[in-house]
Amino acid sequence: MSHAKFKRRHVSGRGGVWGGVAYFFRRTLLNIRQNLVINLLAVVTITLSFLIVSLFLLVFVNLEGAGELWSEKIQVTVYFDRELNEKEFIALRNLIMTLEGTDTINYVSKGDALKRFRTRLKGQESLLDGVPPEVLPASMEIRLKQAFRTSGAVEAYVTRLKKIPTIVEVQYGEEWVRRFNTFMNFMRFAGLLLGGFIALAVLFIISNTIKITIYSRREEVELLELVGATRLFIRIPFLLEGMLQGVCGAILAILILAAVSWAFLNHAGNFLIFNPQEAGLVFIPVTFCVALVVTGILVGFIGSLTSLHRFADQS
Amino acid sequence: MIQLHNVSVTYQQDVCALSGVSLMIPRGDFVFLTGASGAGKSTLLKLLYAEIAPSHGQIIIDNQNVSRLTRSELPYLRRTIGIVFQDFRLLPNRTVMENVAITLEVLGIGRKEIGERVSRILKQVGLEQRMQATPCRLSGGEQQRVALARALVNEPKILLADEPTGNLDDENKALILSILAEANCRGTTIIVASHDLRLVAASNKRAVTLERGEIREVHDEPR
Repeated sequence: MSHAKFKRRHVSGRGGVWGGVAYFFRRTLLNIRQNLVINLLAVVTITLSFLIVSLFLLVFVNLEGAGELWSEKIQVTVYFDRELNEKEFIALRNLIMTLEGTDTINYVSKGDALKRFRTRLKGQESLLDGVPPEVLPASMEIRLKQAFRTSGAVEAYVTRLKKIPTIVEVQYGEEWVRRFNTFMNFMRFAGLLLGGFIALAVLFIISNTIKITIYSRREEVELLELVGATRLFIRIPFLLEGMLQGVCGAILAILILAAVSWAFLNHAGNFLIFNPQEAGLVFIPVTFCVALVVTGILVGFIGSLTSLHRFADQS
Repeated sequence: MIQLHNVSVTYQQDVCALSGVSLMIPRGDFVFLTGASGAGKSTLLKLLYAEIAPSHGQIIIDNQNVSRLTRSELPYLRRTIGIVFQDFRLLPNRTVMENVAITLEVLGIGRKEIGERVSRILKQVGLEQRMQATPCRLSGGEQQRVALARALVNEPKILLADEPTGNLDDENKALILSILAEANCRGTTIIVASHDLRLVAASNKRAVTLERGEIREVHDEPR
């Protein structure tokens, strides 16, 4: 008995690889057109799922932004027992600027300090009548770089500052910094946890939606197998379809969120006690949008692949 | 060309669909498989296109043991076999032309050639005017002819037809049989499962009668 295998006929009539690629894209678009309702339902479900994720990201990004804004209030103030002359000030400023973590330095003279105090006592300025400027000490307000606004980093920075002889006293609101950092860490942890759950739920929904669209065409897959289609030939249009559903869902979700966000920023001022435009609210960054679209493609691909695997296992 | 050696098929351990079937079908033959419902006709056809595997025995097609084919080799066997399913298995969302074209698309044939070959076969089965219709708009006889066109469009070496004339009127039966006979004249080996004894007798072809999964008798073609 001969052991010659059945001859494998290669793709030739479609014009090589590009002809094959063109065929699969054409087939995918035809499949979508011929199964329009179920494809539309899948895209709507995926869009709603991505809308949940992108809305969460929008809230998270803005909370992070608010946190960064508040962290700018973390500043270290150093006090001197006397007024510094210009030469001393420049020398000290240059020295502090060499310390790792220093962002900006603002010198507050004794006169400026009294002026500020007077402003705070608005309406009761008369209390300060007769008080000489020398009562309040001169100081330098140092704003730290973003990465140095944690409790530990601020403490380490202050220790280094205290080694400078001219400086008498250093204050940085230890308790406030500690609480702020605790709050930010909690917010990030809760955000990650919630985001993780949402992401898992959404991936599950999308993957199953795609599976349903494939299961509804089970007969087509079986027929293709019986007329001699290879596994790759059967899978490619389904994979492309899944990826297209994913990418459409992600893009639609981003567009809807952008439209809603724009409408909110421009009109919410009419009924809210603050103006959202002035509050510095921002849309999710482009990198996040790209990540959402890539996730859409990947979930579409994986959802289709696992469904087709299950078919193959059953047949 | 096709040999079955002591083939048995058992479903769920105790239901025997075929038992010890041995059969040889030479290249270019035209054979009817007859028998009552449940005799094993469809099971035998399914074995030939490898939708199911035998519990015992060997099936040889074109000197190749079908049971030993790997999953990736199966499509290449199936491309040499045209199948007319009892329930037609036409895709409801695709037009007649697209349904027939599937067989050629899996071979990687270009659009132009597919168009020409599909038009030719649809003309042969008398459906050239219904190319753009979807299956739900066709009568039972027309659907049967579409299924036949899909099975024949790639000029297969073997054609397996499961009850291709079931529920058809005499005119449609004659048309289907004449199309099968034409394909047979061009060299295709034809195996038709049918319980219609009148049709089998009228065709003057070789007939294998199955009963409860066993071959009861073989009527050779009158010479």
